[in-house]
Amino acid sequence: MRIQEALSMYDKLNILTDAAKYDVACTSSGTSRKSDGTGIGSCEQSGICHSFSADGRCISLLKILFTNECIYDCKYCVNRRSNDVARASFTPDEVCTLTMEFYRRNYIEGLFLSSGILRSPDYTMELLYATLYRLRRECNFQGYIHVKAIPGASPELVQRLGFLADRMSVNLELATAESLRALAPHKTRKNILTSMRLVQNRMTENKQELTLYRNAPRFVPAGQSTQMIIGATPETDYQIIQVAESLYQKFELKRVFYSAFVHVNNDAALPAKTGEGPPLLREHRLYQADWLLRYYHFRAEELLTEENPNFNILFDPKCNWALKHLEEFPVEVNRADYKMLLRVPGIGYKSAVRIVKARRLGTLDFADLKKIGVVLKRALYFITCGGRMMYPTKLDEDYITRNLLATGEKLPREVREMGYRQLSLFEGGWNEDGICVQ
Amino acid sequence: MKTVYVCSDTVTGIFSGIYDAWKSRKREEECEIALRGMLDQQLFCDYVEVEETEHKADAVEALIRKHLGMRAYHDIYHAVLSADPKKGDAVLGTMLTAREIPDSTKIMDHLSHPKVEKVFELYRNVFGETHSYKGFLRFRELKNGVLYAGIEPKNQILTCLAPHFADRLPTENWMIHDKTHKMFAVHEAGKQWVILWGDTFDEEVFEQVSDREEEYTRLWKGFCQTIAIESRRNPRCQLQHLPLRYRSEMVEFG
Ligand code: SF4
Repeated sequence: MRIQEALSMYDKLNILTDAAKYDVACTSSGTSRKSDGTGIGSCEQSGICHSFSADGRCISLLKILFTNECIYDCKYCVNRRSNDVARASFTPDEVCTLTMEFYRRNYIEGLFLSSGILRSPDYTMELLYATLYRLRRECNFQGYIHVKAIPGASPELVQRLGFLADRMSVNLELATAESLRALAPHKTRKNILTSMRLVQNRMTENKQELTLYRNAPRFVPAGQSTQMIIGATPETDYQIIQVAESLYQKFELKRVFYSAFVHVNNDAALPAKTGEGPPLLREHRLYQADWLLRYYHFRAEELLTEENPNFNILFDPKCNWALKHLEEFPVEVNRADYKMLLRVPGIGYKSAVRIVKARRLGTLDFADLKKIGVVLKRALYFITCGGRMMYPTKLDEDYITRNLLATGEKLPREVREMGYRQLSLFEGGWNEDGICVQ
Repeated sequence: MKTVYVCSDTVTGIFSGIYDAWKSRKREEECEIALRGMLDQQLFCDYVEVEETEHKADAVEALIRKHLGMRAYHDIYHAVLSADPKKGDAVLGTMLTAREIPDSTKIMDHLSHPKVEKVFELYRNVFGETHSYKGFLRFRELKNGVLYAGIEPKNQILTCLAPHFADRLPTENWMIHDKTHKMFAVHEAGKQWVILWGDTFDEEVFEQVSDREEEYTRLWKGFCQTIAIESRRNPRCQLQHLPLRYRSEMVEFG
């Protein structure tokens, strides 16, 4: 391990940004807070992007590690103990100064502080706590803070930290316990889930405290999130979204993030390096499916099955579902209930709300749907307006598949060339994580 | 013959124009609101110069709040700040249409009406630009300690941006300079923000930054470069989210 003495601030920031960049979440959403007039900072419910980096991802938070002098040896990680990379650690003061000065200039929405394990989980957590304490209490910073909880740290520390942060996350890292054992020998599934549960329980208690005392301190008001690495281990998409679903249901997570595996280390336990780069299309399909779980009332086993455990390269998960369930279509737009409208390819949740409102005022035709924002070239196979289809079409899987593909929309060049590199194509809405959701 | 009410491109001006048109009890196709300097002269129209007063503007504001509700007022207020010359007319048309439906507070759901649709579209555009600048605006610290930001918005968004920063930076002295419309939002620590017009300031002062400014600029630039993952490079996606027009004042692109 190389530890350089007397690094400049510039070098430290460079090392500890480089070490943090594979963490995907950079969102500042989920809580809204006005300033109290004495300090600095506020939070917006929807989050704010402050810049976009060359990889097209949103920069919202100062995303750094506190230290990369890590005693663990996770095989997928650049900072693992056995790697020969430049090492550095911040002091709590340095992190505070950077956050405050960047925030004043409107570079950032807040801080995302993660860390390697310096000496022990508790020792590291104490440092994170000291940093957040200073930032909140001494600098009076009221902007957004996302902090990592280190699995294995004492519950009492996790608690204290959670009262200073807006969001806390414990990384699940890999979808199954076997994979974790294989690639992160110092981590255990049990420790990770215990920490998650602790945060969850404390949040529940806090909700009760807040109903009793409106001014009680708030425990991670923007909720808990986690992240899984995709493509380093052999799990199927089906396994992954089942895990995600149960994290949402059983641990009440706000978000699950997926991070396409980036080859940074050569290790026999990792998949062989190919020329294809990170599995970005797969990551993208998982985000789309995740969106369906959270906002479209889909269940994991509707989207995939044991027999058919991976997402279609050509179509997004909703379209794929529709093609396999043609018996549910066509849907009459003027009558179908909201949940069914959500299942129609080409109708997003905003359009579905608008349809429900607008049809109270009169019967909708295809021109109205277009104004509302429905993507008719996809939806037309699945809907009727006043009993009529837009064009005569057949409700037949092959027929619709062929026609959807012929229009070429949504079909990325990367897919046409059957490579997975560089997805620059995906249209549709992008949320502030720089993640395309549709 | 159609009457065209000509007013200035300000909230007071447009609301005064709407006041006069409303008072005349004309139907939608008999009247129009046009902005001075952005007229396309039509034949067979009667052009009337609007006398602009705060009284008229307040009356129209109250009328909208009362009959169309807060949500519609919110949308209309944003639409009036837009750069579109047809905005006053869209607002008037929306108000006239609201009179004709059973529940006028639901007017913004009537997206199939062209004027309502227009107001909605303008609102979205102004709101969107405001939201973008909440993130993309950059302050720099001047020699005198004031935080200065220059922006070049298409719409007149200063009155939407200022409350956001006043809440966020209550203990700082800052100013936001709308270079397109030659306006300033100025905030003195602990006080209310104000809007100033014209050449109030010696603009050379804006170039004289504090001693530590360069260091923070350098740190931020370095951060933005390092945070990108090389094997995910995607300049097209970056461009889509952060159009070039915002970048001129962003230090990380300087
Ligand atoms: S704990 Fe594992 S993933 Fe985290 S910094 Fe250390 S080696 Fe990397």
